[in-house]
Amino acid sequence: MRLHIRNRLHEVFDALDHAEDALDKAALNPSFRADIRLVLEELMVNTVRHGYPDGRDGSIAIKLDIRPPTVTVELRDDAMPFNPLGIETPELPGDLAQHDAVGGLGVHLARSIASDMHYSRDGDSNHVVIRFDQSLSEETPA
Amino acid sequence: MILNLRSESPTPKRSTVWLDGRLDAETYSQFDEAVRDVTPMVDNGGTLVLDLSGLEYISSAGLRSLAQLRKAMHDRDGRTLLLNPQPQVRKVFDIVKAVPVAEVFADIAELDQYLDLMQRQVTGRTDLQPTSE
Repeated sequence: MRLHIRNRLHEVFDALDHAEDALDKAALNPSFRADIRLVLEELMVNTVRHGYPDGRDGSIAIKLDIRPPTVTVELRDDAMPFNPLGIETPELPGDLAQHDAVGGLGVHLARSIASDMHYSRDGDSNHVVIRFDQSLSEETPA
Repeated sequence: MILNLRSESPTPKRSTVWLDGRLDAETYSQFDEAVRDVTPMVDNGGTLVLDLSGLEYISSAGLRSLAQLRKAMHDRDGRTLLLNPQPQVRKVFDIVKAVPVAEVFADIAELDQYLDLMQRQVTGRTDLQPTSE
């Protein structure tokens, strides 16, 4: 599945719904689908919110390769360079309400949940390849 | 609708908000608005219960909203207790250590027992043994 969207939040959510439909049709289990949705939401929302500080129009291409039990997603955008693997893990105090704002939470979640993530800057594009493995996506114990 | 909210304030000491659906970058402002209406109904020192039984998904935007709400309640000497988070929500809470485990309850009986214990401690009654940590 391939999708192209503009750098608008509502288009990100349209894309997430399309992606989830495709994952649903492939009979992937709900927790695995939610993992993929979360990683895509975090990375794309981050791109839309922070990737275009000059306010210009941009585009994001999403490619979903579904081969159960593995799903590979490629995200390509024309935002300013951003390597999600290059930022530090946020300090997690054990209670988010104790701190004013913990930055980098979304990217931290995305990195924690993806089985594998790879970043490259190709010319004017950020290119992130994320692999999800259903067997690694079991629920964490309560 | 992607996020449904319902609230009930039987007493000024306690309100409950039920969340149903997804709390994410698309719906968090709807949640922020709804709880802005509910929190003033809880007296200083009161309890806000967020029933998460129907919340199937949360992302970092939702975590930020929850953190802001919990901080606002804390600033009024109140507390926010979370009820019955579902697997995806629990998993996200765990990864970022979002909330102290002491404020998350599996069911309403456990939560009521906790509030009862708190009440007894406040009123100085000691007929209930404190649980060992």
